[in-house]
Amino acid sequence: MAFYADKDYTTDQTVFEAVNQVMSGNLTLFWYDAKTEKVKGKPTDLRRGLTYKDLDLGSYGYSSIPENLRTSQSMVARGSEKWGNLPDMGYVVNRKSEIWADNVTYLYEEDKSRRWTPAVDVPWSDLDAHPIAAPIEAACSQLYTFLQECALVSMDFAARWVPLVNQDFIEQKSWMCAQMFNWARLNEAFRKRALCGGAGLGRASVSGEQGLKEWLWADSYPKGSLSINLSLGGIVLAICRHVAAFAPSKVDRVLMGYAMQDSARQTAYGSGQLRYYLTHRPAEMSAMQEYVDDSEHVMLALLGSPELIEPLIIISGGGLQKDQVQAGRAAVAKFLRLAISEYFERLEAAGLAASRTRSRIAPVVERISAAA
Amino acid sequence: MAYLSTTNYLEDKDFIDKWLYTMRTGEMDLSWMKAATEKVKPHEANSRRGLTYRDLDLGSYGFTGVPEKVRGNRSYAPRGAEIPAGVPDAQPWVSRKSEVWAFNTESYYEEAVSRQWNVTTDIPWERLDSVELPETIGKALSQLMTFLTEVEMIATDTPAMWLPRLNPDFIEVKAFIAAQAMDEARHTEAFRKRALTTGWGLMKASPVNEMALKHLRDADSFSEMSVALHLVAEGNVLTMFRFSEYLSPTDVDKRIFRLVMQDEARHVGYGMQHFKYVLENFPEKREVLHAHLDEAENISFAGSAATELTESFIILAGGGLKKENIEEGIKITTKFNLKQMEEHFERLDKCGMPERKQRSKLYQMYEMGRAAAEAAGIKL
Repeated sequence: MAFYADKDYTTDQTVFEAVNQVMSGNLTLFWYDAKTEKVKGKPTDLRRGLTYKDLDLGSYGYSSIPENLRTSQSMVARGSEKWGNLPDMGYVVNRKSEIWADNVTYLYEEDKSRRWTPAVDVPWSDLDAHPIAAPIEAACSQLYTFLQECALVSMDFAARWVPLVNQDFIEQKSWMCAQMFNWARLNEAFRKRALCGGAGLGRASVSGEQGLKEWLWADSYPKGSLSINLSLGGIVLAICRHVAAFAPSKVDRVLMGYAMQDSARQTAYGSGQLRYYLTHRPAEMSAMQEYVDDSEHVMLALLGSPELIEPLIIISGGGLQKDQVQAGRAAVAKFLRLAISEYFERLEAAGLAASRTRSRIAPVVERISAAA
Repeated sequence: MAYLSTTNYLEDKDFIDKWLYTMRTGEMDLSWMKAATEKVKPHEANSRRGLTYRDLDLGSYGFTGVPEKVRGNRSYAPRGAEIPAGVPDAQPWVSRKSEVWAFNTESYYEEAVSRQWNVTTDIPWERLDSVELPETIGKALSQLMTFLTEVEMIATDTPAMWLPRLNPDFIEVKAFIAAQAMDEARHTEAFRKRALTTGWGLMKASPVNEMALKHLRDADSFSEMSVALHLVAEGNVLTMFRFSEYLSPTDVDKRIFRLVMQDEARHVGYGMQHFKYVLENFPEKREVLHAHLDEAENISFAGSAATELTESFIILAGGGLKKENIEEGIKITTKFNLKQMEEHFERLDKCGMPERKQRSKLYQMYEMGRAAAEAAGIKL
């Protein structure tokens, strides 16, 4: 065990005495006049309920969290009175700029209000009533196998960081829990879809997984967030939108509709975090740009993975006939251009204005798309 | 960067040429179509429940077929997919089923998904507008909520820390943990929001209980973490929620406690089932878990010295600060304390550790407390 209590409390007389005093009716009430701010939060809009924004009040509010958290390393609730011997929980993310985004509380609230249940909200039996042609079903099965890999890594990313984030960022940590849950739900939905068509799962992607691991294991939260939330979230969003448009079944259309909502929130947070980081830490701009330059090859590893691109062509074209593949290639070329274009738009909007011009992947993707 | 892909795909000419060729000619490799995977056709066993993870418990895809020691997958590949050479090692720490599994895990997860609720809109906050609690009750309630806000997030951080360490083949467990993290974030939110709507704000931190949080986080194995978190800590909190619902000063508070109880009971349910599973399937762990329980129970007992919590509980239970209120509050709080310990040992008993009582110092404390309560005429 890495941590032991400072003593055996079951043999500690001071504990017995303290308990006996209180349980004899001699209350200390030392907590009664806590030196904390007195507030009474209220919902500003009854239809929306009581949001975290409504509680952005004085010392309790997230607006007043300083950039550097130097005196909070325990799990004490932000705004309550600290006293006594509080433990150090070993947080490594203690700077607001490294984690915060201006849209984080909104995204958390939206997340809760848009809950859905894959088991019952997707019309699974429709696949029995309207079976899909074998090659398209095989393509779906492969596509959803690939998407499970993306979902698993995204879930692991939020989980990996949440215990390392200072407790004062309570809204942020809550959002990260919502992210974990979102990706668990998407992973569930993708798995159910892959299996219920009858084709089983497909093959894992070597290039995809190598790339995902590089992004997942980024050595700082801002870098990892850029990769997983902004870049990967953006790719998943683009895939879901594309498949929803070419959905071979009602199941796929409904499922991708939900998946778009969820992945759009990840992407919005990723963009918001990068913007906040660069706005508050302009000196980090060049380091972040360098990271993007070094790691953007993962975009190719994912988008160029045969386990993604080939099923997408088949689904988009509606089959394996020559004319279908031709149509599929054209549609996928548009998808690739759009995915890359949106990626650069997000980077630019967040403050990395030079990304598109200095990028080495943009011309590669353009050449490949043009070939179709 | 902490990990570099084995290939820089921008510099991989073969990779890019193959992609370019596919897009230009439409000729596809399609080798994934020949993936050596099982073909199954799951159906909803019950249309009202929809398609559940249990419906997918088929052949190589099912959780029933996961071996005790997962040797075949260390990547990010979903269980049952074909795993080609060259996928990376996800570096899981836990690849042994008995270290994480619990009977019914998949159903706990499905229930969590279907019972998501929203603190913002599912609690009738507007009703608090017309509520003016007496100062003593308002402050006691705020102090209780401060404590609960403080401790709930540990049940997010601790399982989350383990989630990426679990082998990807344990997908249902990972999903359950992710759902638990969301549940606990919601609890933190509920208690924080309630504290900040009392008019008194948050109150004092609880250093003794913070020590317990640190202990929960720093377990050596998932099973030890689970016994301390899901069984001991959440078990205690579940009893506390039940009593808190009983002594809630408003309907709004009752509603909060009813909702959080649903979630907490699920976590305790998983904890119990996992504890049972590990004792049955990994008997060598029994002594390790006893040793961890020794420490967890020591810290649990230390919580009784957190007077800021005990006193607020007494005031809420008795309804005020007058002598008769305090006397009544002490009776109820004594019952609560004893019930908490009694239920703890009942759970261990049911899970297959009846010998715990003989070894446990906490059980000695329970017996002493019970005798003292009976001597004081408190009906248990």
